[in-house]
Amino acid sequence: MFEELSLHILDLAMNSIAAKARTVQIMIAEHARRDRLSIRIQDNGHGMDADTLKRVLADQTTTKRSRKKNIGLGLALLRQTAEMCGGELHVRSTPAVGTTVTASMKLSHVDRPPLGDLNATILALCAANPVVDVQLHYLTDTDRFHFSSKQPAEKKVAGPEGLRGKEKTNYEPGRTQKVEREGTAAGCLA
Amino acid sequence: MNLEELKKLKEKAQRQVALREGSKKYRVVVSMGTSGIAAGAREVMKTMLDEIEKRGLEDVEVRVTGEVGLEDVEPVVRVEEAGGEKTTYARLDAEKAKKIVAEHLEKGKKVDNLAVGKEKKPE
Repeated sequence: MFEELSLHILDLAMNSIAAKARTVQIMIAEHARRDRLSIRIQDNGHGMDADTLKRVLADQTTTKRSRKKNIGLGLALLRQTAEMCGGELHVRSTPAVGTTVTASMKLSHVDRPPLGDLNATILALCAANPVVDVQLHYLTDTDRFHFSSKQPAEKKVAGPEGLRGKEKTNYEPGRTQKVEREGTAAGCLA
Repeated sequence: MNLEELKKLKEKAQRQVALREGSKKYRVVVSMGTSGIAAGAREVMKTMLDEIEKRGLEDVEVRVTGEVGLEDVEPVVRVEEAGGEKTTYARLDAEKAKKIVAEHLEKGKKVDNLAVGKEKKPE
């Protein structure tokens, strides 16, 4: 069991990279008003057909045959976390198009793991394959934040408060978080 | 995550890319599959990156890979040397990771008590 949602994100995004995705989009939406937290990981990797998808959603199934021990728990773990926190997991996949995994949960649920160290997650993904464009879209009721590892140059930060925004986003449930507006870090691989 | 952190992240990633370009003396490969992550591979990677930076080691690159088939001894890190020699370290944590950076990557001395398996010598 992972203690942070960002570890789930890392795990599934590593699958995307293994599936030869060129772009991995991570979307985190925090709707304090609706008390929902949803996480979506979308890739344009090689995807899965309906049968494979059915198999991987069953516990302990993996498509990675190169390994000595097949674990195949990534999706099952996130599903467990989501369902435990009053939510659900959806996977959509089309061969040659890509895979989208969406997990939703109750933002204020007492068992909901914290998002944790997203920074380290993104960093690990960049180190996994620097050619892949890793994008992070973080949305709250009032703000949004976008990051892309492929962004060529530092984009203007909208609003002076965005630039000064020193405050750490804390992930306490039931509160609207302040995230810098369009605080774009330049492409780390530009 | 705030802008400061993202800037740091960007710089780090840029440095890593720079490391990929030339042939470096050491390549550190962190196993980051489901079991590695569950065992704390991400923190090990982060600690190593920080430590490498702190010590100003420029002849080292850090990469991440999927499962390496050593799920029961995760977190696993493999240190590959330019000559082709490979050392696998297992059951790591932040402290052990620091030790590997200090001993193996900085001084070139293998940390034998953390290594597993037979080392592969180049032919």
